[in-house]
Amino acid sequence: MTSLVLTITETLRYRGEIGKWAWVLHRVSGSGTFVFLIMHVIDTSWATFYPELYAKAIDAYKTPLFTAGEFVLVACVIYHALNGLRITLLDYRPQWWRRQADTAKLVLLGTLVLLVPVFLVMAGHVVNYYNERAGAFDLGLDKMVEATAPFAIGTVIVLGLGLVVSAGASLIPSLNAPRKRLKGSKMETFLWSFMRISGVLIIPLVFGHLAMMHLIQGVFDLSRVGHVPVFTNLGPNMDDTLTAVNFVRLRWDTMLAGVYIWRVYDILLLFLVVLHGFNGVRYIINDYIHNRVVNRALHLALFGTMIGVLLVGALAILQSVPATTAEMLSQTSRTIGVDVNPFVR
Amino acid sequence: MEAVIRIRRFNPEKDKKPYWATYTLKDCEPTDRVLDLLHRIKWEIDGTLALRRSCAQGICGSDAMRINGRNRLACKVLLKEFGEKPKIQVEPILGLPVIKDLVVDMEPFFAHYRAVKPYLVNETPPPVGPDGRPRERLQSVEARERFDDTTKCILCAACTTSCPSFWANGAYVGPAAIVQAHRFIFDDRDQLLKERLDLLADPDGVWRCRTVYNCTPACPRGIEVTRAISEVKKAIQTGKRDF
Repeated sequence: MTSLVLTITETLRYRGEIGKWAWVLHRVSGSGTFVFLIMHVIDTSWATFYPELYAKAIDAYKTPLFTAGEFVLVACVIYHALNGLRITLLDYRPQWWRRQADTAKLVLLGTLVLLVPVFLVMAGHVVNYYNERAGAFDLGLDKMVEATAPFAIGTVIVLGLGLVVSAGASLIPSLNAPRKRLKGSKMETFLWSFMRISGVLIIPLVFGHLAMMHLIQGVFDLSRVGHVPVFTNLGPNMDDTLTAVNFVRLRWDTMLAGVYIWRVYDILLLFLVVLHGFNGVRYIINDYIHNRVVNRALHLALFGTMIGVLLVGALAILQSVPATTAEMLSQTSRTIGVDVNPFVR
Repeated sequence: MEAVIRIRRFNPEKDKKPYWATYTLKDCEPTDRVLDLLHRIKWEIDGTLALRRSCAQGICGSDAMRINGRNRLACKVLLKEFGEKPKIQVEPILGLPVIKDLVVDMEPFFAHYRAVKPYLVNETPPPVGPDGRPRERLQSVEARERFDDTTKCILCAACTTSCPSFWANGAYVGPAAIVQAHRFIFDDRDQLLKERLDLLADPDGVWRCRTVYNCTPACPRGIEVTRAISEVKKAIQTGKRDF
């Protein structure tokens, strides 16, 4: 760990140019987004697997601390996206390196310019919410702890398991042989390109997702009775229990031209973002953690978590919300005379 | 004029930790180099100060050190850069073990240099001149121009030790070694292209570069270091030197 501490202090001390700060911000914004990503995939999967828990998670997301976190998250995503574009451009056009400082400033400026309207719209949702529930401001620390505790415990368990397996693996002599110096890796070469290509593909998907879930409608709308989820064709959310769950259902069961478009969209987003994010964290681990046992433990934990997150996320999307909840939903829809999706189970 | 100079000192036989020592020098000229000040301290104030230098003219690459927060050659930095009352801070380059004061162990740096095979490999017999004896392998001006920038490296380690990736992970070959590799990868007389690209396609080769751009301004020779690294990355992906 000394190398991480040393790198942080010396990065602050060394008088590099703005490219250095772009790199620091890219790492910080990426790591921040990563933490939210894992939580977000797992708690969204609860809409399918544990509807009651999902409703609780959405309640927690409405607490002020998570609201502040949402603003930070959106800032992180926008900066990471724009700077990622900058990195990709400069990587594929090495002769443009002279523009690195200008483009780094442009990315900062672009982020700020984009954030002004985005934050205004997001703040509008927050203000509306608190206007409707005058005097209901509640820091919700207990909700926050309750919502994040499973992730904290899960992280400790996964890291502990990784350490145990890694320590066990160090008993196998062949796994401890020193690495041959510089032998080239097709995987590493592929992943470098993958980070850039996936990054570029993610940008429209994530910006679309942010627009749909944080701007046009916010987390406060998900659980509002009578709210019609944007870009869906199944009618308003009329169930006053587990409304957030039904919101997810309305989205995932919306069809366009015979395709569950939001499921396709979310699956694409899930795989690209998860692979991109986990590989980014792998880079960070390999940069700073050199103890063989700890490094391997983190890799195991990371890989296991990635498979878990992908499986849980994909299954939740493919399976969608359970039939009982859907039944309730289709009944309420019928009573108000809205067309019911023929594919609702 | 008077110059104040702070030096990060460390004597492994006496000191547990490095410390800052401050020296004040009178009668300095704006055209004095930081190296001149270090000489005066060593010769007139404290003979125990350890530093590396040989040519003192920006060619040998011995006196790279961190001067006021940036990696420079002490023999190429003039006092006038720091204003009327110069305050200068000098510390050893980072990422290599400090032996004493400003002297670091360069061996890990040279090990990375050797790892990229910094020499021309061409197994075909050299062409024969009019006198019937072997002569040099001729190259077009354009082909020579392709790698001209990276021939300028003097192996001072200023770039490699400005790199946060290298600070964090000494296994990374570092910018200087990649610059040297670039010099041979883009030389059309060289026949080791495939092997060179394969060497550098390592997690500790070019892929450890995070395009922080600290290395480029650190180069006292003005080599476009990050550009060279990016060109090697592209060559690895295309498998060709002319992409």
